[in-house]
Amino acid sequence: MELVSDYIEFWQEKNNVIWEYTYQHIAISFIAILFAILLTVPLAIYMTKMKNNFIKNSIFNIANVFQTIPTIALFAIMIPFLGIGFKPAVIALFLYALLPLLRNTYAGVQAIEPDIIESAKGMGYSPMQRIFKIEIPVALPYIMSGIRTTTVYVISWTTLAAVVGAGGLGGLVLSGIGFNDQHMIFTGTILAILMALLLDFFFASVEQKLLKR
Amino acid sequence: MMKKILFGSLFLIGFILTGCGDDSSADGGEVFQYGAQTYSDPKIMGQVVKQLVEDQTDHEVEITEDIQASPQIINALDQGEFDFATLFSGEVYNNHFDEDKIEFSTDPQKTIDQAQTLFDEKFNLNWYDSIGFNNQYSITVPEEFATTHDLQTISDLSEYASDMEVGADSAWKERENDGYRDFVDEYGYEFKNVRGMEISLMYEGIAGGDLDAITAYTVDPHILENNLVILEDDQNFFAPYDASIVARNELLENYPEVSDVLDSIVDSISTKEMTALIREVDINERSTAEVAEEFLKEKGMLE
Repeated sequence: MELVSDYIEFWQEKNNVIWEYTYQHIAISFIAILFAILLTVPLAIYMTKMKNNFIKNSIFNIANVFQTIPTIALFAIMIPFLGIGFKPAVIALFLYALLPLLRNTYAGVQAIEPDIIESAKGMGYSPMQRIFKIEIPVALPYIMSGIRTTTVYVISWTTLAAVVGAGGLGGLVLSGIGFNDQHMIFTGTILAILMALLLDFFFASVEQKLLKR
Repeated sequence: MMKKILFGSLFLIGFILTGCGDDSSADGGEVFQYGAQTYSDPKIMGQVVKQLVEDQTDHEVEITEDIQASPQIINALDQGEFDFATLFSGEVYNNHFDEDKIEFSTDPQKTIDQAQTLFDEKFNLNWYDSIGFNNQYSITVPEEFATTHDLQTISDLSEYASDMEVGADSAWKERENDGYRDFVDEYGYEFKNVRGMEISLMYEGIAGGDLDAITAYTVDPHILENNLVILEDDQNFFAPYDASIVARNELLENYPEVSDVLDSIVDSISTKEMTALIREVDINERSTAEVAEEFLKEKGMLE
């Protein structure tokens, strides 16, 4: 029981600080994911129409390379170019998010039966209509699963943003490790987990809604 | 079929894991474990301990580097995973003990006395007298900034603080006693922004102009390398961090010859000497083993 009351006291004392770290975490991961979705989904659909395999492979390879750089190294590499804080953190996470989003969207659209596309053509659908009425809805489970996994990853990776001075829940965890405070470590961890689960749940219900239509 | 494959892989995992046990040393002695933090002074001290112990006894020492923070090392010592480490007297204020047991003081002697008694009581650790160097928090600014504004002390910063971006290690913002909140109380001013971050990246931040001041550790040669100056702590706010070798009592009782070696390290390396050693490692990128060996030979502690 003492454990619980200690922990409640910790929240009362620190809740301002905790929300500040949480807010930073949300801002960093949200902006990184949003920009990554805005870039990759149209790009991947465009790539499925692309005839030139060389360019297509190059794009995948570039995204792949970003994915393979160790997270902590990528943050550190950013510093000479982008300084410290919010900017390098968001850009590093954005780069990480590219590949899974690109791959899933591309695979989803690619997997559509050519017959479906042909019949849409036969029914007189314009290319734009085909994309919005056929390709995106049919590929939606793929696209959404890409968005969901990426979101979970990005929220977890955002904890490393604390290393470059961008704050976020990683700051709370690192403070806890340095100052020997289990409450801080626990709180930072649990909030990051909750955030990932909540967003995953949110995207799952969005997917459900969209599929029903 | 599937079951066989599954059992096969589980067996393999178990086999590999059990293979990672410890062995005894070549001379028939024990293999002791030394844990080092992420920065260079504890790593160099690890080599000092290793080379002296291996030279003067039959035992061997293995060093594990880059443990994120001192509390984790203390935990590992407590559980017998590590046998030695280099810790700093100010660690005693790092939330290990109940508030009524401990009294915050910036007096070096009082601090190390408390560390020796309390860590012995609670963790059964022997905290040796200081190695001779200290490595404490300081507020550090670019030399140019200090000369143009004629800054000598931390109090002198008060006029400029409201425009300053400060880089600090992540824990400093949240620490009690000698953390940022108490700093504000003691010095009576706030900075524009304090960012918690990785220590080594603070120097990149201040070199690139993103940061105006950092909470550097005094022994760090990057301070000189980046043309920074340490401002005098005129309110005597920062806790002393005198470095000591720490070892498990149980081990010292069983192996008194090891205790003799560790005793010889007390009072053997000054702050200036340690800064020079770290410079060899951090700036000139030499190995800690080579740097430590060279130093010990120079001092006549190793043949």
